[in-house]
Amino acid sequence: MGVILELRGLSKRFGQGESVLEDVSLKIGEGEIFGLIGKSGAGKSTLARCVSYLEEPTAGGVVFAGREMGALSRGELYEARRSMGMVFQQFNLLMQRSVIGNVCFPMEISGWKRRAARERALKLLETVGLSDKADAYPSTLSGGQRQRVAIARAIALSPRILLCDEATSALDPETTRGILALLRELNQNMGITILVITHEMLVVESICHRVAILDRSRVVEVGDVREVFDHPKTEAAKALVAGDGQPDRARKLLRAVEAYRDKAGLAGISAEEVLRRAGIPID
Amino acid sequence: MPASQLIDLLWEGMLETLYMTLWSAALAYLIGLPMGVLMVVTDREGLRPMKRLNAALGAFVNLARSIPFLILLIAVIPLTRAIVGRIVGSTATIVPLTLSAAPFIARLVESSLKEVDAGMVLAARAMGATPAQIIRKVLLTEARPSLLLGAAIAVTTILGYSAMAGFVGGGGLGDIAIRYGFYRYQRDTMLWTVALLVIVVQLFQEAGARAARRIDKRI
Repeated sequence: MGVILELRGLSKRFGQGESVLEDVSLKIGEGEIFGLIGKSGAGKSTLARCVSYLEEPTAGGVVFAGREMGALSRGELYEARRSMGMVFQQFNLLMQRSVIGNVCFPMEISGWKRRAARERALKLLETVGLSDKADAYPSTLSGGQRQRVAIARAIALSPRILLCDEATSALDPETTRGILALLRELNQNMGITILVITHEMLVVESICHRVAILDRSRVVEVGDVREVFDHPKTEAAKALVAGDGQPDRARKLLRAVEAYRDKAGLAGISAEEVLRRAGIPID
Repeated sequence: MPASQLIDLLWEGMLETLYMTLWSAALAYLIGLPMGVLMVVTDREGLRPMKRLNAALGAFVNLARSIPFLILLIAVIPLTRAIVGRIVGSTATIVPLTLSAAPFIARLVESSLKEVDAGMVLAARAMGATPAQIIRKVLLTEARPSLLLGAAIAVTTILGYSAMAGFVGGGGLGDIAIRYGFYRYQRDTMLWTVALLVIVVQLFQEAGARAARRIDKRI
């Protein structure tokens, strides 16, 4: 597996303030879904911006597709950003443009012909399941639909990597599931590498292959999702796994039920069925 | 004054007023719009922060806006003569009107563009948009409704100033109000011109507000 994105000792501070990122090194392989998890204030969003040099790191650097981002000229930097898609928590769609106008935007600024761009945009809208909304305006869409448009827009130029900065944090659980399923689909069908930045364990657990934990400006743990979450080594990772609140609690309860099922020789039936047989109503 | 004569007089005055106002507004936007854009772009949070240039622009705009219009009108007489060839009449008035409106328009444009959500600009930057593309396709496009409302304010303000220019032979409705209403004590003529001015201002303001609502896709 080739490395598509590498952060090398990345540090960032604003003015004379405290460091927001401190010596962050990560390697993200081509085709994987990599999670970066941390509490708010850990430096996640700054990291997302440093990757594409929307914020310039104070020290260290980023190597993307074999090229040192810091060494690029302005024009080359614009080019590099066109092969990185980005999805945001607040969607950041252009509100005065129609849905298809939004999806066409990146193609428009890279000099695509109008018709070719429209054709591709229609295909992309089909991929994200919004063909019927092409001429609607974002203000008429729900949060989940807006994020689908934003994803279509982000993959319009067939990027090498998709950066998702808290892409599901403004959405309800069900919509979140839909968006995560879409991301997984894009990864499987198109082979797009995805960097998922989030504060929600559930997101990392459901789609990521590997995960890094960011705590107080530093990466404290990196590894396989199961490995890191099941056997957290650092205090920060343990706190994260223990204190994720409801989704995590639900996950633990589910595992407890499954363990009980296996012990009781009931392997093969669902956890719901186990509880039903025990006369415990779910919901 | 017989009614038909009064109507002719007012009609001509109104055409002159519209002529001055609309030309001045158009020319002032030619100066004020790029200036407003530059002020936003060079701002500390802008696409290309330039501290000194930004401060200089801000100071210049404040200075220009604090000069009373009648004083500016007299101060630029040499320039007016050089450009138009004369210093009275509605065409001559366009010069000081434009100069006084341009910095005001720069501020209006600046505030409209600053209303554009920073997230949209960030998204466009992440997509590899150049600053010029962001100005054209994000800032100016997203701010369109607000810019249109600003234009209604600019036009009505210029209209008011054009009436003031009537004091020194600037032509238009203000000129008629001074000459007939003030110097010849024709109070009804004065009232009619004022009524017309009020109506024209209302029309522009309402038309601007409606157009802004119509083109705004945020509902």
